[in-house]
Amino acid sequence: MSGRRVVITGVASQWGAELARRLERDPSIEYLAGIDDAPPAVELERTDFIEADIRSPLLSRLLPGTGAETIVHCGIRWFPEPGKPSRVLHDVNVIGTLQLLAACERTETLRSLVVRGSAAIYGCEGPAPCFFTEEMARRLPLRTRFQRDASELEAYIDNFARRHAEIVCCILRYQPEIGPGLDSPLVRYLSLPVVPTQLGFDPRLQLVHVEDAAGALEAATRNPARGPVNVAPSGAISLSRILRLARRPFVPIPHPVFGPALERLGRRLGAGPLYGDGVRLLRYGRGVDNGRLRSDIGYEPRFDAVGAVRDFASATGSRRIGPSLHPGDLAGRLAGFGR
Amino acid sequence: MSAQPETESMRPPSAESVADFLRRMRVGIEDGLDPLTAAQRAATELPRTVRRALDRLSRRLQGEYYEDEWGFDEEFAEAVYPLFEFLYDVWWRVEVDDVRNVPSHGRALLVSNHAGSLFPFDASMILGAIMKEHPLPRWARFLVLDWAFVLPFISTFMKRVGGVPASTHNAARLLDQNELVMVFPEGAKGTGKQFSDRYRLQRFGRGGFVEVALRTGAPIVPVAVVGSEEIYPKLADARPLARLIGAPFAPVTPTFPWLGPLGLIPLPSKWRIAFCDPIDLSEHGPDAAADRRLLFDISEQVRETIQARLYESLVKRGSAFM
Repeated sequence: MSGRRVVITGVASQWGAELARRLERDPSIEYLAGIDDAPPAVELERTDFIEADIRSPLLSRLLPGTGAETIVHCGIRWFPEPGKPSRVLHDVNVIGTLQLLAACERTETLRSLVVRGSAAIYGCEGPAPCFFTEEMARRLPLRTRFQRDASELEAYIDNFARRHAEIVCCILRYQPEIGPGLDSPLVRYLSLPVVPTQLGFDPRLQLVHVEDAAGALEAATRNPARGPVNVAPSGAISLSRILRLARRPFVPIPHPVFGPALERLGRRLGAGPLYGDGVRLLRYGRGVDNGRLRSDIGYEPRFDAVGAVRDFASATGSRRIGPSLHPGDLAGRLAGFGR
Repeated sequence: MSAQPETESMRPPSAESVADFLRRMRVGIEDGLDPLTAAQRAATELPRTVRRALDRLSRRLQGEYYEDEWGFDEEFAEAVYPLFEFLYDVWWRVEVDDVRNVPSHGRALLVSNHAGSLFPFDASMILGAIMKEHPLPRWARFLVLDWAFVLPFISTFMKRVGGVPASTHNAARLLDQNELVMVFPEGAKGTGKQFSDRYRLQRFGRGGFVEVALRTGAPIVPVAVVGSEEIYPKLADARPLARLIGAPFAPVTPTFPWLGPLGLIPLPSKWRIAFCDPIDLSEHGPDAAADRRLLFDISEQVRETIQARLYESLVKRGSAFM
């Protein structure tokens, strides 16, 4: 990789900013630009910040001027944020991607396009295969708005890739992230003082550690593979074990009232509603196969599914104040005393 | 990994040791200790089995246990094993033929007939047969009807004891991990058949199990289970109810739903499980999986093997209940 010119859209997002920070350290990248509608929260040294809304046709005039060889699209939003209500999400995700692709058509220097997408395209069903591989997208009905959006924007990118065989289009399908210090609805859910779960369901989950999430994005930018690539840790872990490792007491509630209850509780405790397919994810879970990430992109995740949760638990557990009254500790002290 | 369930630590503590514990704890509190320290001091005198059970409980509550990527939890499976052991030994008096046909290591696909309308127990009894009678016992995984994974509790239970949703992807991945996989190609057609059709094999799906076996090079072991048909004799089907709850069928048996929850108790029929000679498919190679005709030929061969063995076992068993 020599003399690469990289443009990151959605650079104000956590992932875009982190990618820019990592690429800045690499002297072989001669030019780095970031596009977003607000400046990134972190200080970037040599990244050109271009203020533009990804939904505007202005992008088609801006992008060719940068002479970009690689475009990394981090602007897909998974959950509403202050100032970006859920109504806007569809616009940003689908129309934004369309505008970006239109701009890519005019950028003649373009060699590769990397998109940070979502594994929501596989859907969330009880009887789903335990580990989806990349060719199994859209096998199951897409039930939530976010799942349909994920599917729609991938369809546009597929179409673009078919017409431009010379451009490597890589779609990363991310499982939800977890990590100390990460601010996402799922992490806020796991940090509730008492975590509601769905009675009788214990989903298998794969949560990507923030470090692996950023690492995979960087690896894909440097070495993109054609087509979709799942980004997930190896293995899987059930929600009940996550909560036990994180020392969170949980109350099972009947699944039909889980969604509304969480919304109420979440608003009061500042956790916010779960994004996209979160409620279904916490009922049925989802597992994907990360074989392509390891072989084609060449990125080996540092944390497996259990390791990511352990790291999260050890970082959040130290914030606890007062004596630990966890039933597991009590039983352990009784069993271990005088040995 | 201990294959034999560890029943010693599961036994509840005797009344004396509990009384002893409480007495010592009271002495401790009277000495001016806080309750937690008093409990700790009293616990030092507890019998070893209780301490080990407490230790295990503590590990489980802290999430320090092993479950594999499919959600299979060996400790959980061992904990529920005694219930199935009772059904196996006392209730259904299972007899087993040729259990050595199950390979003691490496991948293999067990293909069995399927019956027992309300709750098909045949998977658990085949599992029990391998765990109890095989010289090298091992846990088998089994493919479960999709519908079970939509239901609360049942989906969680199935996952923890080694069930996965019925899909060729899951079966192929499990076999690639050198597991023992159990499939029931008749599916809901097998469990939902009328009592008058008992031990008559239904259509074997689309032959997906042969495709998986060919692709992964796993031998097929046909299994014939006799006795499962009589546990819940299905006399009629409440179709509107089935449609309402999305179930493949809603059985009416002589006791269910007439006796309410009591109707869920299976009848104590006599069981006989026969493992047939393994069918080695490695000569065909993985590319043969695309050959439809070969798939149907092998599928039919397996089906006939099981059907013949069923008749043989029925004669050997004699009376259904005595």
